[in-house]
Amino acid sequence: MADPYKPRAPFAPWDRRTLPGIFDVEESARRVGNYKWTEMKLFEALGGWVATVPELDVKMRLGTHCYKHAWHAELWHKRLPELREMNPERLTAPANDAMVRFIEAMTEPEGPELTIEKLVGVYRVLIPRFIAAYTYHLNGTSEITDAPTIRSLKFILQDEFDDWRDGEMILQSLIETPEEAARAAAHMQKLEAIMIEAGGIAGIGTLGSL
Amino acid sequence: MRKFFPVEDLARDSRFSKITIADRMADQRTALNVNVNGDADGPSKRTNNMRLVPSRRDASDGARGLMHGIFVGEIQALEGAGRTCWDFETGTEAPFALKLDMARQCWDEARHVEISVKLSDWMGSEIGQYAENTVLFEAACSSDPVLRLAGVNRALEGLAIDVFTTMKEFGDLAGDQYLEFCEDWMLADEVTHVKMGSDWLRKITENDPERRKKALEFQNVVDKLFSYGGTRSDSQESPIGLARRFRELAGFTDAEVEDIAEVSMQALNERKVVVGQIREAKRLADQSAHK
Amino acid sequence: MTITVTPEVFNYVWFDADVIRNIATGLVDALGMNDYEVIIDVDETTPLSGISCEIGETIHIRACSGAFEDTRKPRQQSETATATSIGRVLLRARDRLVGGFGEAPADNDLSLAQVAAWETYSLGRLDRLGVPTNQQRWRYNFRNRLGFTDATDGAFEKIWGSDGLTWGELCAISETAIPSAAK
Repeated sequence: MADPYKPRAPFAPWDRRTLPGIFDVEESARRVGNYKWTEMKLFEALGGWVATVPELDVKMRLGTHCYKHAWHAELWHKRLPELREMNPERLTAPANDAMVRFIEAMTEPEGPELTIEKLVGVYRVLIPRFIAAYTYHLNGTSEITDAPTIRSLKFILQDEFDDWRDGEMILQSLIETPEEAARAAAHMQKLEAIMIEAGGIAGIGTLGSL
Repeated sequence: MRKFFPVEDLARDSRFSKITIADRMADQRTALNVNVNGDADGPSKRTNNMRLVPSRRDASDGARGLMHGIFVGEIQALEGAGRTCWDFETGTEAPFALKLDMARQCWDEARHVEISVKLSDWMGSEIGQYAENTVLFEAACSSDPVLRLAGVNRALEGLAIDVFTTMKEFGDLAGDQYLEFCEDWMLADEVTHVKMGSDWLRKITENDPERRKKALEFQNVVDKLFSYGGTRSDSQESPIGLARRFRELAGFTDAEVEDIAEVSMQALNERKVVVGQIREAKRLADQSAHK
Repeated sequence: MTITVTPEVFNYVWFDADVIRNIATGLVDALGMNDYEVIIDVDETTPLSGISCEIGETIHIRACSGAFEDTRKPRQQSETATATSIGRVLLRARDRLVGGFGEAPADNDLSLAQVAAWETYSLGRLDRLGVPTNQQRWRYNFRNRLGFTDATDGAFEKIWGSDGLTWGELCAISETAIPSAAK
């Protein structure tokens, strides 16, 4: 057995993590607050929609995904005080007014015949935006100082990918005619237009600037 | 999407057929053995033991019917918990942590729907094979989240504890390990849900005795509604028994369990009297028609 | 063939005596029981689904209203449920009258396992007559009485697919599921 008192490098040769990150504490907290607000709006909408969709498999998926997004909101809620925001409610906010309008437009469909619109808003617009924003944060933040956020991001991204795949497969099974495809596209276009105005989950600069 | 969703708009596919509590009350038939006074009808072909156990002659059909009731009940519980996530503003109307609990309940209920579908297949039932009574969701329509928790988490989920205990015992006695296994898991979740309701009820109404009183009264009404016709009580005449031990685990006090036992027995006895009166009225009407 | 249904007019449920009569007529005909007079009494005051049959000078069927009910729409009649229920008891009656079931105990003395085996035998035959059945429902019923084992499922398949069994043969197949269960 090796000598336990022999000095070893604090970072093993395979540990390539580096200190620099593109977010300071304040910016990280602002983004986390935006994430929490949007995850909350999403889990509330998914929960509300359960009673409005007649398709049994969709009902069960929405109920399952509702919890996952609530859990994401909880993770961000717990992270905020660790980012010097002792009043998490203060930063639990939309990135901008356009984001508020996006959520209003996304949650507008209610009728039992509008399952496609409901799912398009979540799985073809909002969740891809979550995946993008979280991936940008994961790739850009300090691997050492912001490790707790990275851990949460990895858990959450796994959920987002799983849920996106679930939702997309359900949509593909629901869209059976060119007219339904057009409906889906039209709704997506309407929501994307607002999302472009919002700039993403964390507002303009969600994905940095090119 | 609206806040507060009316029960009549609950979305279902074409296999389902909904009935209301009014439809159910209009059905004057009963399996109970009663006369005009609500007493036993004397020597009769009807049995006084209706508890769902494998030795009942119609046991497997009874279990299938109850399983379907569980299935639609789980759908409505899922919908109710989901609506609580949506209907109330976080912070001002309902605490964030309460809504997180409701979201968790959504996941649990969604799994219960999945389990119920698999169990229904196993038992040879089809989705929608039995009418769906929407009374469970009606308890989830209150505009006060505390009342909703009292109605859904304490009354409805409390009933679920009784039902799952009955079904778990049924599976055990019949040697149906598949059924027993599933009911055991669902029972664990339901105990958690009832405890959630009990904890939130105490917490939110800590300094508001009036609101707590209202919530408990509402729970009492819902408990009686769920005991309608004597479906659930300590009596062997009820298909579903009262699961006292699991209710205690879920945070019910001894006094609360006794209250529910009393309300359930009252419901059973009231139904017997009503059925007896209906029968007597019909007998008199038949007599005069033959004169 | 005479088929009498009582009551003629239903007060507790929305059943139609003519529909019951027509379904029974079709079954009696299909089962070659035209020589028998059949009386069907429906107890419409109970939602239970029990049905029994007494064989004397007539075949006297007593059914609780649940036996003919559409479980999707309470108090309304289901033609499938009506055919299944009447078919079950008619087949049992025919077995006793002509089918080598002479030594079978009286209906009230049958054990739950014996009832399940006979029901399986009847339902398999009804299925082949074209009455819609859910085989899994009856498999579950059989398993509840004879055990949740592969041997039970094997016995079920054999009974379901059989025609022309005697009581002794039915009991022998049941015994392959769980010895002595058919007694």
